[in-house]
Amino acid sequence: MLYVQDGDLVIPGQLMGEKIRHDINCFHEGDKVFSSVRGIVRVEDNRVRVIPSSGGYVPREGDLVIGVITNILPGRWSVNIRSPYLCTLRGEEVTRDPLGVDLSRYFKIGDRISAKISMVDEVHSCQITGPWKLEGGIIIDVDPKRIPRVVGRRRSMLNIIKEKTGCKIVVGQNGWIWIKDKQTEFAIKTIKRIEREAQTQGLTDRIIKMLDKELSIKL
Amino acid sequence: MAKEDIELIKNGKRLDGRKFDELREIKIEVGVLSRAMGSAYIEWGKNKVIAAVYGPRELHPKYLRDPRRAHLRCIYNLAPFSVEDRKRPGPDRRSVEISKVSSDALSSVVMLEKYPNTVIDIFIEILQADAGTRCAGLNAASVALADAGIPMRDIVSSCAAGKVNGEIVLDLMKEEDNLGECDLPVAIIPRKKEVVLLQMDGKLTREEFKKAYELAVDGAMRVYKMQKEALISSVNDVIIGE
Repeated sequence: MLYVQDGDLVIPGQLMGEKIRHDINCFHEGDKVFSSVRGIVRVEDNRVRVIPSSGGYVPREGDLVIGVITNILPGRWSVNIRSPYLCTLRGEEVTRDPLGVDLSRYFKIGDRISAKISMVDEVHSCQITGPWKLEGGIIIDVDPKRIPRVVGRRRSMLNIIKEKTGCKIVVGQNGWIWIKDKQTEFAIKTIKRIEREAQTQGLTDRIIKMLDKELSIKL
Repeated sequence: MAKEDIELIKNGKRLDGRKFDELREIKIEVGVLSRAMGSAYIEWGKNKVIAAVYGPRELHPKYLRDPRRAHLRCIYNLAPFSVEDRKRPGPDRRSVEISKVSSDALSSVVMLEKYPNTVIDIFIEILQADAGTRCAGLNAASVALADAGIPMRDIVSSCAAGKVNGEIVLDLMKEEDNLGECDLPVAIIPRKKEVVLLQMDGKLTREEFKKAYELAVDGAMRVYKMQKEALISSVNDVIIGE
């Protein structure tokens, strides 16, 4: 039995239903199912899940993230991916002999990269693969839990921003977004607005309207 | 001031005109600090408290790291200008004690096992104190934790009761706290009404304790409703547009 509807806002510890199936950000005690975070309820045939409205980043296998090289260790780099856990990039990703060569030839401390998380262990330490150096541009900070809204369903929102502003944008699931090219400031403004209004309805239309209006003023 | 000088209860009303089971005015704001993961500001009568949550983040010193759960660190600080006589800045016996009981109370609701090897830092700053700051701080901290998106089993709600001039009253103010007979702060998990903090300063008989405890739990349930409202409206009240 459900006590909430699709789209309702819940807070931690709020009863959502009895004898129902539950997914992420929920927990159960006996037959009762509760929310564990503040967020929006999604109901899909007798199964509830909660989409959190804020929160930190915990590495997940397969995520594309943006990181900053923090240290060069024997045969590997350590990378800051904006999570409290250790993240390493193996030297084998770029060279056959990681212990023989000077790794700073490839990535120096402070270099920004985009990479995919290849493995996460029990204590959330992770390894990344396929590093790609991000030269120039700037990185902005967005709440990691609001990244899905910035990207949009099937990348629709991101494609709109890219098309209209002509920027190069790489979105990391960890909440860091790399932007490069002429209209950077404009893209940042748009992304910050999406972040702020992430839980509202009809956001895509408003963003298209805003982009068209601002671009027509510039032309 | 001598004890006899102030009449704390007059014609069945308290010093500020409240009834025995009436709370002071409470105002809660969520997300007041932009650099913190979660934050909350609470005005409870003349109390002004700000709470901020940072983390989960890397834990130093390293020996405190636990691969099974996160470490919850709560720091309660009374600002030097928060009380009438200037308070010497820095931690003292009282602040350390309140930090400890607050972090114990919050540890029982936060799902620490989700973030192994890390720390969740909570800072409770008392900007203006007028009795019941540990309750106000705990309420603000649990709202800030929910705002930070940290998974919790429930929110902690807290309220104090006490004995003034032989009467059991809810939510003591400063004069009542200083000149009254007893102060009983209680923090509960509203869903199950489990007690996570209970301290008593003064003396109560068994019957009086029971009455005061029930009054405090009732007060905490009223605070819970306000916390819920504040958390939900902070997401809903987004200004659409520039």
